[in-house]
Amino acid sequence: MPPADAPLLLEVKGLKVGYPVQRRMVTPIDGLDLTIREREVVGLLGDAGSGKSTAALAMLGLVRPPGRILAGEVRFLGQDLLKLSPEGLRALRGKDLALIVQNPRGALHPMLPVGRQISNAYRAHGAASSKEGWQRAIDLLRNVGINDPERRVHSYAHELSGGMAQRALISMALSSTPRLLIADEPTSGLDVTIQAQFLDEMAATVRGTGSAILLVTQDLGIIANYCDRVVVLHEGRIVESAATREFFIKPQHAYSRQVLSLVRAPATPAKFAADIAPLIEVRDLVKHFSIKGRDKKVQAVDGVSFAIRPGESLGLVGESGSGKTTVGRCLLRLVEPTSGDIRYRGQSIASIKPAELRRFRSKLQIVFQDPYDALNPRYTMEDVIREPLDLHTDLDAIGKRRRIGELLDLVGLDPKRMGEKPRGLGAGALQRLNIARALATGPEFIVLDEPTSVLSPLARVGFIELLARLKKDLGLAYLFISHDLTTVQHVCDRVAVMYLGQIVEVGTTEQVFKRPAHPYAQALLGAHLTADPMHRRVDRPPVNALAGEIPSPIDLPPGCYLASRCRHVTEACRVTPQTLAMHAEGRPVRCMRVLAGEVPIGGSP
Amino acid sequence: MSESLAVADHIEPAGADWLFRIGGAIVALVLFLAAFGPTLAPYNPTLTTPEVSSPPPALADLPRLILTAIVSKNTAPVHWFGTDASGLDIFSRVISAPRIDLTIALVANGLSLLLGISIGLLCGYFRNLGTEIIMRVSDVLQSFPVFISAMILVALGGRSIGNIVIALAALYTPIYIRLTRAEVMGQKVRGYVEAARAIGNGEAMIAIKHVLPNSLTPALIQSSVTVGFAILLTAGLSFVGAGVQPPTPEWGLMISTGANQIVLGEWWPSVFPGIAISITVFGFAVLGNALERRYAAG
Amino acid sequence: MLLRTILRRLAVGVVQLLGLTVAVFFLIRLMPADPVSRFVGINPSKAAYAQAAKAIGVDRPISTQLLHYLGLAPSQGKGLLQGNLGTSWVSNAPVLKDIATALPVTLELITMAFIIALIIAVPIGMLAALRPGGKTDKAVFVYGLFAGSQPEFWWALLFVFVFYFKLGIAPPPLGLINPMNSPPPPRTGFYTIDSLLAGDLTTFFDLLHHLMLPVATLVFILSGPIIKMVRQNMEQALTADFVLYARAAGMPGSTVARYALRAAMAPSMTLIGILYGFMLGGAVLVESVFSLPGIGQYAVRSILAFDYPAIQGVVLVITAISLVVYLLLDLLHAIIDPRLAQE
Repeated sequence: MPPADAPLLLEVKGLKVGYPVQRRMVTPIDGLDLTIREREVVGLLGDAGSGKSTAALAMLGLVRPPGRILAGEVRFLGQDLLKLSPEGLRALRGKDLALIVQNPRGALHPMLPVGRQISNAYRAHGAASSKEGWQRAIDLLRNVGINDPERRVHSYAHELSGGMAQRALISMALSSTPRLLIADEPTSGLDVTIQAQFLDEMAATVRGTGSAILLVTQDLGIIANYCDRVVVLHEGRIVESAATREFFIKPQHAYSRQVLSLVRAPATPAKFAADIAPLIEVRDLVKHFSIKGRDKKVQAVDGVSFAIRPGESLGLVGESGSGKTTVGRCLLRLVEPTSGDIRYRGQSIASIKPAELRRFRSKLQIVFQDPYDALNPRYTMEDVIREPLDLHTDLDAIGKRRRIGELLDLVGLDPKRMGEKPRGLGAGALQRLNIARALATGPEFIVLDEPTSVLSPLARVGFIELLARLKKDLGLAYLFISHDLTTVQHVCDRVAVMYLGQIVEVGTTEQVFKRPAHPYAQALLGAHLTADPMHRRVDRPPVNALAGEIPSPIDLPPGCYLASRCRHVTEACRVTPQTLAMHAEGRPVRCMRVLAGEVPIGGSP
Repeated sequence: MSESLAVADHIEPAGADWLFRIGGAIVALVLFLAAFGPTLAPYNPTLTTPEVSSPPPALADLPRLILTAIVSKNTAPVHWFGTDASGLDIFSRVISAPRIDLTIALVANGLSLLLGISIGLLCGYFRNLGTEIIMRVSDVLQSFPVFISAMILVALGGRSIGNIVIALAALYTPIYIRLTRAEVMGQKVRGYVEAARAIGNGEAMIAIKHVLPNSLTPALIQSSVTVGFAILLTAGLSFVGAGVQPPTPEWGLMISTGANQIVLGEWWPSVFPGIAISITVFGFAVLGNALERRYAAG
Repeated sequence: MLLRTILRRLAVGVVQLLGLTVAVFFLIRLMPADPVSRFVGINPSKAAYAQAAKAIGVDRPISTQLLHYLGLAPSQGKGLLQGNLGTSWVSNAPVLKDIATALPVTLELITMAFIIALIIAVPIGMLAALRPGGKTDKAVFVYGLFAGSQPEFWWALLFVFVFYFKLGIAPPPLGLINPMNSPPPPRTGFYTIDSLLAGDLTTFFDLLHHLMLPVATLVFILSGPIIKMVRQNMEQALTADFVLYARAAGMPGSTVARYALRAAMAPSMTLIGILYGFMLGGAVLVESVFSLPGIGQYAVRSILAFDYPAIQGVVLVITAISLVVYLLLDLLHAIIDPRLAQE
């Protein structure tokens, strides 16, 4: 952390940005003041729609068309950017003042090789031949840890993974050792392990170059682990500015207190007697997708078994491509399983006819990831909830209306507005509507497929509280599928960790979070950014990281699927298929070395 | 001034709304003429008058003529747009023509819209060998050169209004199939479809109740454009002698009749019906564009 | 990869053309039109009618006629599969030869119109996109809507009236060259190229003079959709993330402009291809006004005379050219946009 009297690098005063909407000016940024000192890492925290990204761009004197900067000053190194000539501004951008953005693949030109783009950025600030620029691009890509940069410079944006594209962008941004790096949610959409890896590298590189960072985010974990100071943006203004530790201990603004409420009050998982008959039982579930035009298959789900008791919530975690979403879909037969058995209260529903299956629809429900997409755009809130009532109940019109009102009330929506279309609502309210629809027929079990991933921090807090309340009041059981480990920690009683279509470990939430056993679970939990500024990730060496990228689910290795990335790998691992077996601590783990006690358990703080 | 401040407004050209109103007014006027044009015409549009190739009255005479027309009922009506080489009153024909042109365009468009949407829904929602074959056939149909195919169908089928309607409908159906199918395929993977399945709807129910209403927009936007093009095509067919029979009051036929005189300086038999077509199709284009923008805006 | 795509597209195209040929073959023969009556005059004797029917071969069953036409009945001589499009019932010349004479005229006309339309429309469309809401933008918006759908034959007549009758700067609409001049010796079939090859500048300029109004008409019609498309694509490119990011990276204005232009031009290729294909058949009306002996005129004449082999030939050739143009432009598109090459 830089000393409190380090010289000022950036000073923003009274910044106001406007967008014309139907001939009126809307001002998402309205009177923003902000300072950043040299070598300081400042986290800019804000909810969806708070104007974070607009603010980040405005620091470079940029506005997305059709907006414009209406007033204020942005002093950088003593000069006001908004009064500079276009040429003067250009000379600063990309040199002393660099930007990386969310959606890295969109920020790269889709029709030019990355190497050409990095070279162009480099040559924009100094005379260099195109050959030198190209060579420089290769060096830069190597510096940010991209394998085989000589080949990668020829790649196009669509050929890169999100993590790789983001690294290409940061290589471009850091090519000129900028004084200030503005990072606008650089890891949104990346998996946790990639996110941690990327942020670690960014922090390390910047520490080397002595740049300051403005890190725009809505993730408290990122703030806690990487930032020296937090500024909170709310309704276009900075409403709070504090050192990170103070912020987590004593938040001042109402918004800050609300988003921190979960961090400050961890949930207490329910305890279950071992002999309760399961509500849902899945055995050896397999799902293969055939690839068009090839005789190979994608093994999305590869022999998954688990059970959920009435009123219990099981978390299913893993990175994208682990098959967790497919498990949820198969459970309700929205995707037909290739083989395996699914039992609801002892009755098999894996192979019954669609017409018969429809009877079970009222008992088994699902809530999807994208709350907006899951609603028919032509339906009012009333229509949305009426549909399951039409299908599964014989209530009369008045009865239905009353039930709709009750359901809206139950999930915290205003029943008086049931005649409106939900399009104007925020993601949080939309997701509540989706829950209400799922609840309409009185289910006992709900699959929650990444239900919080597109919600803003504030909406997420409210939604998690709602899930907990529904579980308690209605005795619902959940299968909670998520890559958001913080949320899982608050909602789930037990957690199953998936990797490449297999469950590698199951345990109580406390077991898995405190003492992960399987090497993959250790890596995953190790990459989890706990919102705890007392144990910052930047202050300790990274542990348990995995090497390389996830193998293709088309050509799986013969032995352990993690063999190519695991630190504890032996020759035997590469050839022996692993089975899920009971560990001495009383939970199943899929790793012979862990089971034999050869690998230490835990490792996460 | 910094470049960010120079970024101009990005809203639609301010004239767009004003244009939209003009488009609406044009379409309304043409629809009105299709209903009442023949009744309002001062002369029978298919009967010749003794005055052959008489030019329209000079601009300077117009006020006096209008006054006379209002005051006295006894004198023979003025030939406002002149007469053609066989003595037909051009004004009467121009305002009677929408009944022919618009009927052809609207009926042909309605038929192909109905057919195209139904087939498009079927082929987009249920993908199997049968629907794949339908799509291949539709592809082949769509690769026909439009104008020449229309000529073949009408000239060989017989130059009647019914045949023109059938020919246009046949040529436009594949467009609607393709548009609807593409939209259906986009919609059927949306979350609300899966949600509808999860709460226990059957597939046919989902297709009709959820997917269809959300897949209509592209076809409906296209239909405004298609009506304009159908009017142009009908006129073009008449122009090359493969459309309606003379002396049907039809704009393209009128332009064609006057085409030989225009090199001799007799401009009015062709110019007035041409202006009518030009304005009409412009009206439909503007309307279509307005719908498209509204759709894009969500 | 690319080669495989080309071969696949060509194979699909051939199948499509065959399907189209068969479809057209049945279609025109199922129509109520009676081609024989066109050749025998009014009230023919039964014998004369039968003889005429035999002469053009419509007395045989349709399936036999089809096999003959396709060239699958070797005893009957060459057919489509051997590259023979049959003989015109009207001109008695091979259809292929008739088309070879007519096609260059049309290609010459629309290619010229396309080049000029692109030269005019692309910069205007870009200008409009650079200043959205500005005067150019508004004018371009209205023009794009207007010219996009207009009766081109009427505009052609209007141009004739103004530029020939009133102003006298254009020739009468009676063909490609002054009847006093003799046409250049045919080598490529394209009059402009042939006259240049023959070093006959008088004929060359006479040709341009005659093509002036037809080309102007097509340019007027074509530039509408092209401007609209360029404006739209450019506007989209200018608001894209990668352009914003290029500016954030401090790249010079010229580089940023190149980024946007490249992104805007790629999707325009497809529409240009479709327009070109459309114009091949759509030039009929303009050819008709100016009495240009192009493929459109040939089509009209054949259709009105119920000349079945000629009709088949015209449809086949126009569709084939369109398919080739689509393919070429898609390839160009794939070269500019690597995302497409991958598919």
